[in-house]
Amino acid sequence: MLEPVMFTGGIYKHDLVIELVEDLGGYVLQKNVTQSEIILLLLVPSEDMPTLEALVKELRGKLTRAPLAGTEVAVVTPTLAIHHLPHSACDIAEYLRRNGAKSNMLGLARGVGREIAQITEYETDLINEHDAAVFSYGNFARCIIEKDRLYRNITVPVVVTGGPEIDPQLLPYAYRYVSAVGRIAHRSRKASELEMLDRIVEAVGSALDKNRSDIEKDPLTTSPPRVMDAVREQVPELEMSFSPLPIALNLNGCRVKLPYEDFHQAVERVTFDEGVTLGEIAQVKPSRMKSYILVRILPMSETGFVF
Amino acid sequence: MDPLEVFKIEAPGEEYGRRKYREVLLDILQDLGLVRSIGKLLVYVDIEKPLFSAYGVMRGHLPPLKVEDVGEVARAEGGYQIKVDDEEHMADLLKVLWATYGREKVEQPDRDILTVSSEVPPNDLVVTDVDQEFRRDLTDALIRIAPEGFRNRRNEMTENSFFFIAAEETLTPSLIEEVKEKIRGMDHA
Repeated sequence: MLEPVMFTGGIYKHDLVIELVEDLGGYVLQKNVTQSEIILLLLVPSEDMPTLEALVKELRGKLTRAPLAGTEVAVVTPTLAIHHLPHSACDIAEYLRRNGAKSNMLGLARGVGREIAQITEYETDLINEHDAAVFSYGNFARCIIEKDRLYRNITVPVVVTGGPEIDPQLLPYAYRYVSAVGRIAHRSRKASELEMLDRIVEAVGSALDKNRSDIEKDPLTTSPPRVMDAVREQVPELEMSFSPLPIALNLNGCRVKLPYEDFHQAVERVTFDEGVTLGEIAQVKPSRMKSYILVRILPMSETGFVF
Repeated sequence: MDPLEVFKIEAPGEEYGRRKYREVLLDILQDLGLVRSIGKLLVYVDIEKPLFSAYGVMRGHLPPLKVEDVGEVARAEGGYQIKVDDEEHMADLLKVLWATYGREKVEQPDRDILTVSSEVPPNDLVVTDVDQEFRRDLTDALIRIAPEGFRNRRNEMTENSFFFIAAEETLTPSLIEEVKEKIRGMDHA
């Protein structure tokens, strides 16, 4: 089993970490360089963790578990205005990121108000491309209950956050409701505020675990990190992508940040050592996010094999 | 009247929202530096309707800021020299001097020194209307404080008080009167 971990340390000799992870059969999901510091998001075989830990200790780096690594989570606010951003929603997104998730902030076009709040089909589709979504609501119980129509058609698990305590029975479409994170006009700095961010991360983690166990019932033909590696090797144009993360991983595939029209055939032609192409074991379709390519790996029940 | 000497919020059926709104209000008023200028603030939120309203009394009237308030004016050769104490008002001051004397007669030999080549003293020129600026900031604060979806707004400002109401549905005279009555009730409670 692959263990998701985050390496934080100096640039000096960090390539030793990358080499070791690749030699052990693990994957480098993300590499962030900030001046002389580097943050690596890694998937490492659990039995080889002591080897990596020894190297990291030698390099005076830090290795922390990143339970949400390899997933994409949408943080949805009713709009992008000052009423909903930046405080609570940015804090949630940042906290999810620290735990390894790739978080995307999404402000709805017409999500404001109680009676007039709406979500468009496009927004619903875009949120459905993620592995889970966090809906950040305000301080009034009645609004939170009535605004469940915004996530009623969303198929990924939705964690709803808001201020007051609400009986979960009143929110049947939410995977989990986390109270005490309503509208605030300051950054989360008190211990109680940080504790509730932990509770959101825990709720998202549990939603993702549910997704994982659903996927396990009918396993994917291959794992998303393996697809990522193969695409990275065989589509050299990816190097030219301006995105900080040219391939974003999902639990059931990935998003390749290249224009669909120009590159979908190249992505479909990516070949694995076993002789199959990506086009045969996955759906390669246009993503709702910009003009990117969305790869959805088919389950074993459809392809008949797993590798 | 002391800053926020009276500060009441009512939100029937939403005790948590009421407590939290108090924090949001204070945070926003503090961010915009308005707390000291408001003496009384009564807020009524009815989430059943839904609507948000606020009534406040301001603490005194701020006189317009004149040139002599932002710097020292001294007689100099061929005109006047102004040594600006508070650079915050430099842009407004320059604008006023340019408009009054013309650009060619105003010079800035140093960062905080301005000279005017004219025999007319600039002492009494109005640099900025602080009171108007405060009212603009207050309106901005009220729009920020009210829930975002409440797009039908009405703001009544008098010499020393303001009444703000925002709702999702159309604001009818009877609704406004009803809310004013509620606020009057809070005031006398």
